[in-house]
Amino acid sequence: MDIHFEETSVRYEGRTALEPLNVRLTERRIGVIGLNGSGKTTFARLINGLVKPSSGKVSVNGFDTVKESEAVRTEAGFIFQNPQNQIILPILKEDIALGLKRKKLSAAEIETAVAAVLTRFGIPHLADRRTHELSGGELQLSAFASVLVTQPKILILDEPTNQLDLLNRNLVERTMAGMDENLIVITHDLALVENFDRVLLFSKGRLIGDGTPDAVITQYRSLAGA
Amino acid sequence: MNTLYLDGQSLLHRLSTRAKLGGLAVFSVFLFAIGHPALLGIAAIAAAFAYASTGIDWKPGLARLRPAFITIAAVTIFALLFQPPMEALIILFRLTALMLAAAAITATTTIGAFIDTITWAAKPFERIGLVRAADIGLSVGLVIRFVPEVTLRYRSIRDAHQARGLKVRPVTLLVPLIIQTLKNADEIAAAIDARGIR
Amino acid sequence: MSTRDLVLVALFAAIIVALGLVPPVSLGIIPVPVHAQSLGVMLAGVVLGAKRGTLAVALFMLLAAIGLPVLSGGRGGLGVFMAPPSGYLYGYLAAAFVTGYISERFVQSGQPGIVQGTYFFVAALAGGVFACHLLGVLWLAYVTGLGLQAAFLGTLAFIPGDALKALIAAFAGRAVMVGYPLLPSRA
Repeated sequence: MDIHFEETSVRYEGRTALEPLNVRLTERRIGVIGLNGSGKTTFARLINGLVKPSSGKVSVNGFDTVKESEAVRTEAGFIFQNPQNQIILPILKEDIALGLKRKKLSAAEIETAVAAVLTRFGIPHLADRRTHELSGGELQLSAFASVLVTQPKILILDEPTNQLDLLNRNLVERTMAGMDENLIVITHDLALVENFDRVLLFSKGRLIGDGTPDAVITQYRSLAGA
Repeated sequence: MNTLYLDGQSLLHRLSTRAKLGGLAVFSVFLFAIGHPALLGIAAIAAAFAYASTGIDWKPGLARLRPAFITIAAVTIFALLFQPPMEALIILFRLTALMLAAAAITATTTIGAFIDTITWAAKPFERIGLVRAADIGLSVGLVIRFVPEVTLRYRSIRDAHQARGLKVRPVTLLVPLIIQTLKNADEIAAAIDARGIR
Repeated sequence: MSTRDLVLVALFAAIIVALGLVPPVSLGIIPVPVHAQSLGVMLAGVVLGAKRGTLAVALFMLLAAIGLPVLSGGRGGLGVFMAPPSGYLYGYLAAAFVTGYISERFVQSGQPGIVQGTYFFVAALAGGVFACHLLGVLWLAYVTGLGLQAAFLGTLAFIPGDALKALIAAFAGRAVMVGYPLLPSRA
C-alpha cells in the first residue's frame, strides 16, 4: 500500500478542517485518533475521495483521488459508523451483489462471489434475510462483506464499533484481526489500535502525533486531560 | 411488506410483462371507446374470468377488490342521481372491467418483472440524459429497505411522547420523524458512492 | 442527479409509505382520525422542494403500481390508478410539485417564522388542496363519467380536512427548515 498526502488541506466555508499535511502511509495496520472535530474523519474521507482536497493532492497506490476516483475506489473500500446506513437493499444477498454490477459477471459467478464473501465474515446463513431484521452487529459484518466483495486492497474504517454493543464490538475486532487487507481505522476505541503498526493523532485539523501506538496513545491521553 | 403478487402457472403468469401492460393499455382504450352497455358488460365478464384464472382464492380475491369496488358502487349510485340509468350502467361495467383487468395483472407480475420492464422502458430517456435507468431499481430497493426503519422511528417517537405525558400531535410527531430520517441521507449516499454503485 | 438527492427522494418516499402504514391520527378539530399520507405529500413539497418532492411522490406511486400495498388502507397494484379516486392519486404529483415550487420561490432562510409559515401554508393549500382536488374532480367527472357537477359536490366534503392538513404541513415545514434545512431557494 502507498498512500501519499502532498500539501493536502481541506477548507469549508472559511473554516479549515485540515491544515496542509504531508504524510505517507504504507503500514499494514494504521490507527487514526483524536478528539471530535480534530479532522480525523476528514482525513479518512480524503483517502477514498469522498472528500476532495482544497489544495494539494492525495494519491492511493499511484491513483489521484480527484482525477482517478474510480480507480481509487477499486483500491480502497470504506466502512462507516452507522451499520444501518450501509446496507441499502431489502434482501442481503442482493445488496452484496450490488458492488459486482460493474464487473459484468454471470449470475452464477455473482452468486459464488456473494456466498464466498458472506462465508468469509461468518454470515452465510443471512444471505436470504431481510436486511431490516438484522442486528447492528450482523449489519456491520454485512457492510464488511458488501465492501470486500470487490476485493479492495485497502479498507478504511470510520469508527466501525461506535454504535455496537460490547459483544459485537469484539466480533468486529476479531474480524479485523483476521484480515489480510491494509486497514486504516479511525476510532475512539483506543483498544482497537493498541497493537497496530502506526497511529496518527489529529488535533484541531493538524497532525500532532505520528508513531507507535504506545507513544501516540499516551500523547492523546495527556491531550484529553488524563 | 408483502407484495400483491401471487405465485402461479396461469397464462397471465407466463405472459411477458410488456405484453400484459400493452394489453391493459389497449383494453382501457377499448373500454372508453365503446359506449354500449352490453359490450361493456361482456368486457367486465371477460376481465372477471382473467382475474379468476390467476388462481387467487375467493376470499382474498374479493378482499382485494373491495376498496375499489366500494368507490365504484358509490360513483354508480351518485351517477344514478344525476344521469339516466343506462349511463350509470356503462360506468359500472367500464370501471369494474378496468378494476378486474388491473388486479389480474398485479396478481401475476412480480416486482422484479415490473422493475425490469420499467428499466428497459427508461433506456431511451437515459440517452437524452433525463434519467439513469439503473437508478429506478436502486430507488425502489432503497424505499423498501428503509420503510420498516421509518415505521419503527415513528413508533418510538410516538411512544416517547406518550411516556412524557404529551398529547400526540401531528407536528411534534412528524418533524422529528422527517429530520431524523433525512439526516441519514448523507451517510447512506456516501456509502453508496464509496462502493462505486452509481 | 446527485446520490444524496436520490437518497433524499427515496427516504421521503419511505416516509410517505410509512405514514400510510401507521394507524390514522386525530387532527384535533376533526373527530374522525385521518391517514397522514396526503399530509406526507404536501410535506414532500415544503421540505424537499419541487423537483425532489415530486420525484418522491412519483417513486411512491411507482411502488404502488408494481404491486406493493403502500396506499393507506393497504391498497396497491395497478388498479389504484384506474379507479374512481385515482384522480387524487395523480393529484399527489401535482400537489408535491406546486407546493414545492411555491415554497422554493417565496420562502427564504432570513425571513421571520410567521412569514415562512404563511408562505408554506399558501403553498400547501395551492398544491395539496387546489391542485390535488382539481385533478381528483376532473378524473371523477370525465374518466369516471360522473360529470362535473356531481364530482365537484363530492369533493367539497374533503376540503376542510385537507385545508387543516395544509396548515399542519406549514407548521411542520417551518420547523424542519429550522432543524434541517433542505429547501432549495429559487427566490
